[in-house]
Amino acid sequence: MSILYNTEATLAERVDECLADDFKHNAIKAAQEAFYVKRGELVEEMGEGWQQLRMHAMEVRNHVTENLDYYVKQFAQNAEANGCVMHYAPSGDDALWEVLDIFESHGATYAVKSKSMMTEEVGLNEVLEETGIKITETDCAENILQTAESKPSHIVVPALHFNRSAIADIYREKRGYDGTDVPEEITHFLRKILRHEFMEAEVGIRGCNFAVASTGSVTLVTNEGNGRMVDSFPKVQIVFVGIDRIVPDLEALDTMMALLPRSAVGAKMTAYFSLDSGPRGTGEVDGPEDVHIILMDNGRHELANSEFQDMLRCMRCGACLNICPVYRHITGHGYGSIYPGPMGLVLTPGLVGYDDIDNMVYACSLCGACTEHCPVSIPIHDLVRQHRINIVNQGKNHKIEVPIFKALGLFWSNKPIYLAGMKLGAPIMELLGHDGALDASSTWIPVVKNWTSTRDFDILSKSRFRTWFKEHKAEQKNTEGGEQ
Amino acid sequence: MALGNKKLEDLLNPISEQLGHANVADNVEMPEWEFKAKRVTDGLSAAELVDLFESEAGKIRVTAKRCTKDTLAQTIAEIVGAGVPDSGDACSVVCADEEAFAEIGLYDALRASDKVTDLHVWDEQAGQANVDKAYVATYGITYASAGIAESATIVQPTSAKCGRAISLLPLVHIAVVNARTIVPTMLEIMQAYAASDEKLPSQVCFISGPSATADIELVRVEGVHGPMYVNYVIVE
Repeated sequence: MSILYNTEATLAERVDECLADDFKHNAIKAAQEAFYVKRGELVEEMGEGWQQLRMHAMEVRNHVTENLDYYVKQFAQNAEANGCVMHYAPSGDDALWEVLDIFESHGATYAVKSKSMMTEEVGLNEVLEETGIKITETDCAENILQTAESKPSHIVVPALHFNRSAIADIYREKRGYDGTDVPEEITHFLRKILRHEFMEAEVGIRGCNFAVASTGSVTLVTNEGNGRMVDSFPKVQIVFVGIDRIVPDLEALDTMMALLPRSAVGAKMTAYFSLDSGPRGTGEVDGPEDVHIILMDNGRHELANSEFQDMLRCMRCGACLNICPVYRHITGHGYGSIYPGPMGLVLTPGLVGYDDIDNMVYACSLCGACTEHCPVSIPIHDLVRQHRINIVNQGKNHKIEVPIFKALGLFWSNKPIYLAGMKLGAPIMELLGHDGALDASSTWIPVVKNWTSTRDFDILSKSRFRTWFKEHKAEQKNTEGGEQ
Repeated sequence: MALGNKKLEDLLNPISEQLGHANVADNVEMPEWEFKAKRVTDGLSAAELVDLFESEAGKIRVTAKRCTKDTLAQTIAEIVGAGVPDSGDACSVVCADEEAFAEIGLYDALRASDKVTDLHVWDEQAGQANVDKAYVATYGITYASAGIAESATIVQPTSAKCGRAISLLPLVHIAVVNARTIVPTMLEIMQAYAASDEKLPSQVCFISGPSATADIELVRVEGVHGPMYVNYVIVE
């Protein structure tokens, strides 16, 4: 996979498909509500402290962005001093090259992996599998997706689009599962089959939530413990770190960790949070002997010092997805990007440009709920709008938009045309509609059907507002006069 | 440009250029931060912090028990003796090699227990055998370096005497926490590590309850890859 997927279908086709899948968007809705409620309780408990934390996180992240070259260098040097082997990847392809090189130099052919968006971004699994390397996803949901050959529909709970019996069937067919459809039984089956793999694999591949510049440490936030398994038992470890994951010091790490689990899943902490500083120490018998850090840019630096600079504060919590009314309906599969939802609308074109994203940045009502919920106060909806402005300014919008807006401009700025149009509007609409509205029966009309196939469009009133207002005022005057 | 074998400069130069920096600064002073967050633990006494730690533990499905140094060995032996569902007859225990554990007679108490079928104390000389023991163990016992009241988190650094496997592979994790080491938030732990001259441990793991997932239909299931049950024993 790379950042974009399922691009053979148009955005509209993907959205239609998702809207037709009731189980899928009901599952997403349930997830949104669960996370929303739990997050809300914790935010309330913190009182004014929550806003202070957000503001502090923003100033810290901005400071890092403004000095990004310095902090990237400091992190790299300190991680190296900790005994990690550093690999620098200006592009995603550089990262793939380095990973293949690491496998080759260790003679390794078997890896376990804990969920990492950076590896999705570069399509690591596909590349490794092509070269004959076995790679097992170990996060429950990711393992379900890998076994079913499917894609994530949510960034925190990615396999929500499968119900329990579908998941049980997948494992019955592919892994010889013979239990019931009960989630607990399926999960414990996964515990059993994956446990063995953690011990056998030669390489562990993982991501990094925050990298600490002052100590050269990488961190991992998980609930299941698969991240800990991956970084405890394989002898070789590969850590993917984005240059936008860096915090200056350990105190800043605490600020981010006070915000991340609360925003992501509505918990004060996840079950596990590990702070890793180099390979196993003297006398230690578990933990990796070799740690390779892939420090990757892949287009991120272009966001710095640009109108999208605020996006570099993003900590990938998913809070914006959990509040988004559009995401609720079109789900993660509608967008066609591994980064879906509001944050994805900003980040995806930021990383891949405007040419291949279809109308993605219009999958947003600009309501601003995401901005309000963002733990690092990214003005997400403003940035979505900025993408739209850029698309128009670069002439990459639909060619028909210009004549349409010109015609509408003429209509509204020319009084005789406007009045004639308003007079004709009501009778024409009445002819086409029923009971005071253009309803689903009007879907044979091109353009109009895009609205009326899902919603009614009220028929224009025959009287004008100004006329009504004049009468209303006169009536009021009469009434008041009578009272005096 | 050819793929791979890039140097740090190849990564840094485009960033500096984008930022309008002629070169990477030698030193960047951290600014005076404008905001400091109020935390729910502000103003709590040491005793209140321990209470909070205990009540938060309950919320994340951890069984917390209090005891004194004199009753610690007995308390742990009782937890182990009580058993857990579906663990079968075998009851093997893997334990960190802590002086404090030897001192209070924990190892002797566990050996004396008729429930415990095998006791393994972490031994760096034994190498991989430690992990193999933990792989099949029902109980893993560690001494946390600190507790965090706000989230009922225990701080578990890795060392030659306490491997990662002890708090990860067994079905049950029993973590001993000294009440005096319970701090309000993670910030105090981070500040202490930042102030220390020693290199950070290869891993500091912050553990808050049992391994869990909600990946199938959002149904919470405990015991995914790590322990299914977690016990905190608070020593006062």
